[in-house]
Amino acid sequence: MTLPPILRRWETLLLVLLVAIGAVNIAWSPFYLGVGNIVNLFQLSIEKIIVALTMTLIIVNGEIDLSVASVMGLSACVAAYLFHAGIALPWALLASLAAGAAAGAFNGFWVAYVGLPSLAVTLAGLIGYRGIARILVEDRAYGGFPDWFNALGQQPWIGPVTVSIVVFLVMFAGVAVVLHGSALGRLVYVMGNNVQAARYSGVRVKRVKLLLFTASGTVAALAGLLYAARLGSVRGDMAVGFELDIITIVLLGGVSIFGGSGNLVGVGLSILLILNLRNGMGLANITGNTQTSVIGALLVLSVLVPNMAQTLHTKWKGRET
Amino acid sequence: MNRTTGHQKAVAAADSAYVLNLRNIAKRFGATQALEDVSLALRAGEVHALLGENGAGKSTLIKVMTGVHQPDRGEILLAGEPIAIGSAAEAQRHGIAAIYQEPLLFPDLNVAENIFICHQNRGAITDWRGMVREAERILASLGVSLDVRSPARGLTLAAQQSVEIAKAISLNVRVLIMDEPTASLSAHEVANLFRLVRDLRAKGVAILFVSHRMEEVFQIADTVTVFRDGRHISTRPVREVTPQSAIADMVGREMGLLERRTPAPHGEKLLSVQNLARAGVFEGVTFDVRRGEVLGFAGLIGAGRTDIGLALFGIEPATGGSIRLSDSERTIRSPRQAMALGIAYVSEDRRQLGLSLPMSISANITLPVLSRYLNRLGLIRTGQERATAEQFRKRLAIRTPSVDLAAGKLSGGNQQKVMLSKWLNTHPTLLILDEPTRGIDVGAKAEVHAMIGELAAEGIGIILISSDLPEVLAMSDRVLVMREGRQMAIFDRAEADSETVMFAAMGQTTQPAITGAAA
Repeated sequence: MTLPPILRRWETLLLVLLVAIGAVNIAWSPFYLGVGNIVNLFQLSIEKIIVALTMTLIIVNGEIDLSVASVMGLSACVAAYLFHAGIALPWALLASLAAGAAAGAFNGFWVAYVGLPSLAVTLAGLIGYRGIARILVEDRAYGGFPDWFNALGQQPWIGPVTVSIVVFLVMFAGVAVVLHGSALGRLVYVMGNNVQAARYSGVRVKRVKLLLFTASGTVAALAGLLYAARLGSVRGDMAVGFELDIITIVLLGGVSIFGGSGNLVGVGLSILLILNLRNGMGLANITGNTQTSVIGALLVLSVLVPNMAQTLHTKWKGRET
Repeated sequence: MNRTTGHQKAVAAADSAYVLNLRNIAKRFGATQALEDVSLALRAGEVHALLGENGAGKSTLIKVMTGVHQPDRGEILLAGEPIAIGSAAEAQRHGIAAIYQEPLLFPDLNVAENIFICHQNRGAITDWRGMVREAERILASLGVSLDVRSPARGLTLAAQQSVEIAKAISLNVRVLIMDEPTASLSAHEVANLFRLVRDLRAKGVAILFVSHRMEEVFQIADTVTVFRDGRHISTRPVREVTPQSAIADMVGREMGLLERRTPAPHGEKLLSVQNLARAGVFEGVTFDVRRGEVLGFAGLIGAGRTDIGLALFGIEPATGGSIRLSDSERTIRSPRQAMALGIAYVSEDRRQLGLSLPMSISANITLPVLSRYLNRLGLIRTGQERATAEQFRKRLAIRTPSVDLAAGKLSGGNQQKVMLSKWLNTHPTLLILDEPTRGIDVGAKAEVHAMIGELAAEGIGIILISSDLPEVLAMSDRVLVMREGRQMAIFDRAEADSETVMFAAMGQTTQPAITGAAA
């Protein structure tokens, strides 16, 4: 109760955890600090953490987008399908980004203009977009993309850093500026806090929501293409279940599931925390299932701890007065 | 000595004739004394009407009787025995039930289930057949024909009221509180409801009847009590009451607590509204506002005043009539459009509709015109934002250590000032203030009043919606009175006094209406 404000912040807790995990990892494995491992650590989840950035905007706005992983799959399948139908790959890629934008805008339309809950709309999207992806590629695996495409996901570009990682870093900076410096970011927070107050202040709330969902779809499509480039082949079930990891990252970053609070610093720390945790557990030969359980437990804690702290705090105050 | 004993006996006898006796009840919410030393006694087989303006304390008293609020002081006697009503369930156990303007049924349960919602035959298995039979019996005794197996969802409001009454009867109700039960009923349905009320009265139920419709009070009530500002003013048999005397009791406060505003010179016509309507909400609203003029909107809660404000601000656009601004006809379909036309609307609900509470004071103030605060890259110039906020902090004396503080941390009065700042910062020509002083302390209230005067003097046209009648009368150049979605009258400053306005708000002509129980 007497902690200075900086220590009570969620980000501080994440940082402490991150340092602890880093320390354990260093002690555990001699490979941990190697450049190869650090790049690899990002590479293995790069698509998820890219989508987590737009997901942060969506959740701060008080909504959710469960369809992102399906849109990732859809965009990869659209590109592969068109490419194999004889269309030049650059055009196929553009078409697949457009498909992602359209999928996002479709979600946004129902949420913003019809007023349906985003949970339901994007759940339908999760199923529907995946269905389209599977119809397009059926049970085939499309490969045989040009080398330049595969290089996007796999090859070092600037030093050991890949194109995907550069995309992520640029987008992180971009979203940070939008969320914390621009008018749009301000509106995202205001609407997340109190959408009625925003409406009564003349904010065009429908437009903002449509824009956010369209951005979410577009970025998911981009991530889907990067994923295809990294794997070098495309299947209908690509990225299945990724939405849960993505949402986990955002919530663990201290973004309230009810909207209106959280920041990109927290999400950044949460990304580092989860990646290092998975990496450390991987180096220690802990199985994937156990890793998932540990991260699940972290998520429960991330929702529980602030709420319990709040409750205790209120009780404490109630007793004082 | 004998005489004293006799007197005491008489008092005791009188006391036991009362089913429910509330004595010296007091209840305070923050700075508001909602009830102050209020007493009210309900007799078996009597319809007791409770009258009072908005904020007179009627709702609070009902909530005390139904266990929603605990009184700070005072006692409650049930058939002479002191009781405590700690919860709605306890109120029910004591045989106290309430029905409201909007029935509170479970839409997906059927009629019988709703009637027995609080006391289904518990045990391992619900006795459905018994429940249905009993529900049918109660409804039949009320002379209501309803299929008890049909869900409550499809019922008319009147039928839902009947179900509520049946529910009360099934609880062996001794005291039935009816809070504006007729507000959404047609004349025919009201007649039916009153038949039920008379039946209940004949069965010895004590009924507390709250209504804003004066003629109904005279039709149904035996006794009339008037509250004003949380105090008990009068209790009389209905034959000794006239609409005039009741309204005089309701409004008869000492004026002069609020000083009348000195009117500002009026400029050209700003806004002219003809026959404005929104389907099912209000209709036939016609008025205009000049620069420098304060037009007050008086009326009871739910009379449609706020809805006119929302229509003018484009939140719930009008569906009929015309709006002329500076002599050109306009349709206003969104708040943005309204803002572009120089209209600002300060909502009555600071916390839900007005402010983003976790955000800073400065972010709240700049929100409607955020585009003014962007640099060439589209980023917010926070320094400039803060400078604006500082200006308003000085101008409106917002008491806060910093404009970076979350708006939610301020007191109600200071939040109201932030709302005013936010809308003044849009440089409006027409300012709609909806309940600008509700729930704020006396000092802040006086400051808001002074501000209204200053703004009018600057040539802004102001629409002041307020349920605080003295406030409307003191601040306004003219007063428009609404009742049940209709415009009743517009009074000039000289003719507007509290009784005239309250008469119009309650649907009475200035001539005495038919009085007495016309049952």
